[in-house]
Amino acid sequence: MKFSALAGVELKKLRRSKILLILAAPVILMWIPSVFNSASSLSPSVSITPENNFFIQGFMGMSWFMIPATLVICTVLLQQTERADHGILKMLSLPVSTVKLCLAKFLVLILLALIQMVLSVAAYYLSAYAASQLQDCSFLLSPAYVIPCVAALYAGAVPMAAVFWMIGTLITSPVFSAGIGLASVVPSVLFINTKIWFLYPMSYPFYLLMIRYGRVSPDVYGSQIDWLPWLPAAVLITVAAVAVSCLRFGAAERR
Amino acid sequence: MNRTNIIETQHLTKSYGDFTAVSDLNLHIRRGSVYGFLGPNGAGKSTTMKMLLGLTRPTGGIFQIDGKSYPRDRVAILREIGSFIEAPAFYGNLTGEENLDLIRRILGLPKSSVEEALDLVGLTQFRKRMARKYSLGMKQRLGLAGALIGRPPILILDEPTNGLDPVGIHEIRTLIRSLPKRYDCTVLVSSHLLPEVELMADDIGILNHGRLLFEGTTDELKQEALSSGLPADNLEEAFLAMIDEDNRRPEEAPGRRTDRRTERQTDRTDPASARKRRTTGGERK
Amino acid sequence: MTLLLECRKLKRTGIIPAFLAGGLLSAAVPIINMAARSSSYTSLSGDPLTILLDSNWQMMAMLNILTLICTSCMMYHSEYADNGIQKMDVLPVRPFGMFLGKTFITALSLAMMILLEMASFALCMDHWFSGSDASSAIFAIPGASGTDFPVSGVSDSGASFAGLAFSLLKAGGFQFLILLPTALLMLLIASACRNIWISLGIGVICVFALMILPQDSLILNLIPFHTPYLTFPAVLQEEQIAPFLFACTAETLLFAFAESLFLKVRRCFS
Repeated sequence: MKFSALAGVELKKLRRSKILLILAAPVILMWIPSVFNSASSLSPSVSITPENNFFIQGFMGMSWFMIPATLVICTVLLQQTERADHGILKMLSLPVSTVKLCLAKFLVLILLALIQMVLSVAAYYLSAYAASQLQDCSFLLSPAYVIPCVAALYAGAVPMAAVFWMIGTLITSPVFSAGIGLASVVPSVLFINTKIWFLYPMSYPFYLLMIRYGRVSPDVYGSQIDWLPWLPAAVLITVAAVAVSCLRFGAAERR
Repeated sequence: MNRTNIIETQHLTKSYGDFTAVSDLNLHIRRGSVYGFLGPNGAGKSTTMKMLLGLTRPTGGIFQIDGKSYPRDRVAILREIGSFIEAPAFYGNLTGEENLDLIRRILGLPKSSVEEALDLVGLTQFRKRMARKYSLGMKQRLGLAGALIGRPPILILDEPTNGLDPVGIHEIRTLIRSLPKRYDCTVLVSSHLLPEVELMADDIGILNHGRLLFEGTTDELKQEALSSGLPADNLEEAFLAMIDEDNRRPEEAPGRRTDRRTERQTDRTDPASARKRRTTGGERK
Repeated sequence: MTLLLECRKLKRTGIIPAFLAGGLLSAAVPIINMAARSSSYTSLSGDPLTILLDSNWQMMAMLNILTLICTSCMMYHSEYADNGIQKMDVLPVRPFGMFLGKTFITALSLAMMILLEMASFALCMDHWFSGSDASSAIFAIPGASGTDFPVSGVSDSGASFAGLAFSLLKAGGFQFLILLPTALLMLLIASACRNIWISLGIGVICVFALMILPQDSLILNLIPFHTPYLTFPAVLQEEQIAPFLFACTAETLLFAFAESLFLKVRRCFS
C-alpha cells in the first residue's frame, strides 16, 4: 500500500475529533489579549518599533508554550484515537507495516502543526489590523517578513514534535505522556539562556523567535543563529526520536 | 508442512511471567474447514489467536499459516487473514461505513466490498451511524464485517456471537457455517459453548488452562467420550466432564502429561493418524 | 474510612509518583538555573530567597499547577474510565466524602512538593550564596519588619540555621495556601467532566491563558491558576499577606461548597 494513501487513511480517522478547535483555541487565546494590550506595544521598554514589538510579543507566547502545548495535545489525541476502542488492534491485524503506519501518523501530526501555522498567520493579520484601527498606528508587517518567520518557527518545532511523538508511543497512559510533554515545555525559557540550548528541542521555536527579537531590537538576545552545533543536533534528535517511535509503535498492544 | 492443513502450530507456548496462558499447543486446521476452538473463559483461546495474528509474540514454538511463518512473513500472513479479536476494535468517532472504508483502503479493495460486507452482517441500515453509538450487537457485527471484507481465504473469529440476541446468534452461525462453501475459505472460530461449536464446526479443538485436551471431528469426540466412559449422548456434558477432570488433575501432572504427549507426537508421523488424536490420552479413567 | 478507600484507589494509578516527579522536577529548576547562571544571581544585592523566588518561582509554580492538573484529571479518570464511580454511587458512601478524600490527598502531596522545593532553595542558598556577603542578608527579607523575622541580628550558626528553616517554612506555607484554591477548582473541573480530555484541556488552557495576566492588581491576583505565581516576598512587600490568606481560604471553601452543590444537582442532568 502506498504511503500517501496510508496518510490519507490516517487523516480520515480524525473526522469529528474536533481537532481544529484544539488548533484554533490557542491561536485565538493568544491574539485577542494582544489586541487589547496593543497600547503597550506603542511604548516598549526596549528600543523596538511598535509593529515589530506587536509581532514579537504576540508570537512569544505561541513559540514558548502554545505550539508545544498543541503538539502535546495533538500527539495524545492521535494516540488516543487508536487506543480508545482498540482501533490499533485492527490496524495491527491488517497487512500494513507498523513502521509505515507510525510514519504516516507522524506526518499527520506535522500536518496539524502546519494548519495551526496558517491559522496563526491569519490571526496575526486580523489582530494587527484590529490593533492598527484601535491605536491609529500601523501594526502590520509585510507578509514577506511574517510568513518566512512563522514558517521557521514551525520548522523549528519538528524535532520537538518527534520527541513528543516518541514519548506518546513509549508511554501508553495518556495523562502521563501529556504531563511529561507539558512539563518539558516549561523549562525551555531556562534552556535558551544556556550553552546547551541546542540539546533541548522544546526550546527551538522560542530560540528562533528570540533571534528575530535580537535582530529588530539590539541587545535583547543574539542576532545570529548558531547553526553549527544546532543543525546536526536537531537532525540527530529528530531521526533518533522517529526511529525509536517506529520501532516501539504498537508494542504495548502486541505484548 | 502438511498441504491439507492451512494452519499448523508446533509446541506453541505463551507465558506471562510465571503464568502460562498457552502451553505446548499443536493445532492442525484443515484447508476449507470450520475449526471450532472450544474452552472455558481464560483457557487461552484468545491468546492463541492473537499469536496467529502476530498481535503477541510466542514465548516458544512456531506456527505456519499457508506455508508462511511469523515473524518473517507477518504482512504476507495478514494479507490472507480476516480477523475479529475479543472486544470489537474500531474507531468510535467514525461511522460503521467509514470504519470499513479505512480497512478497504488499506487492503486495496474495490469500493463495492464495503457494501457487500455491511450487507453480509446486516448493518446496511445503520451504516451512517457513529460506531461509538452502536449497540453491543452492532459493534460485534461491525467487527465481523471488518473481518469478512474482501473475502479473505482465512478467517479468525474470536467469540463472534458474544453480545448478540438469539436471532443474531442464529444468523451469524448460519453465515459462518456457509462461508467455506461460499467464499472457499477456512474459518477458525472460538467459543465457550459446545452446542454452538457443534452447529458450526467440522473439527473441534478443546482447550483448558492453555493445554489442548482434544482435537478431532465431532464424531471422534463422541467416540472418545464413549470409550472413556463419559456421557456420549450429550456432548455438552462430555465436554464439561472433560474440563472438570482436567481441572481436578493434581498440580504436578502437567510435566508428566507433557512427556506422554511428546511420545505420542513422535509416533504421529503418518498423516492418517495425524487427524485423530487425544493429547491427554488414556489416563482419564 | 473514605480517606483510606481513596488511598487504596491510588494503587497503580501512578498519581503519587507523578506528584513526586513533579516536585523533583520543579525542585531541580533553581538548582539548574543557579548552576548555569550563578554569577548573574549572586551578584544581585538583596535577600537570596527573594532572588531565588523571583528568578525561578514563575516556572516552578507552573510545574506545580501542571502536576496538579494531571493528577486531578487522573484521579477522576480512574473513577470514570471503567465506571467505578457508578458503583460508588450505589454504595452507601457520601460522594462529597470522596471529593474531600481526594482533596486531602492532593493537598498533602502538594505540601510534599513544596517542601521539596523549599529544600532545594535551602541547598541553593547554602551552595551559592553562603560565601558571599549576602549570607547575612538571608534573614533581612525586604519589607520584613523585625516582628516577622525575629532572628535578624543573630550571628550564631545554629540559630541562623533555625532562622533559615523558619523563613523557608513560612514562605513555603504561604505558597502552599495560595495554591489550594487552584487545587480545589481543578478537582471540581475534573469531577464534573466524564471525558478526561475536556478537563485536561480546560486545565491546560487556563494555565497558559491566565499566566500572561499582569501581576499588579489584587483582584486579578486572586484568580485561581494565576494566584500561585505570586511569591511570598512580593506579597509581603505590598503588605497584603493577611487579605491574601483570607481570600484564598474563602475561595477554597467556596469551591468545596460548589462541589457539594454540583453533587446534589448532578443527578438531574445525567
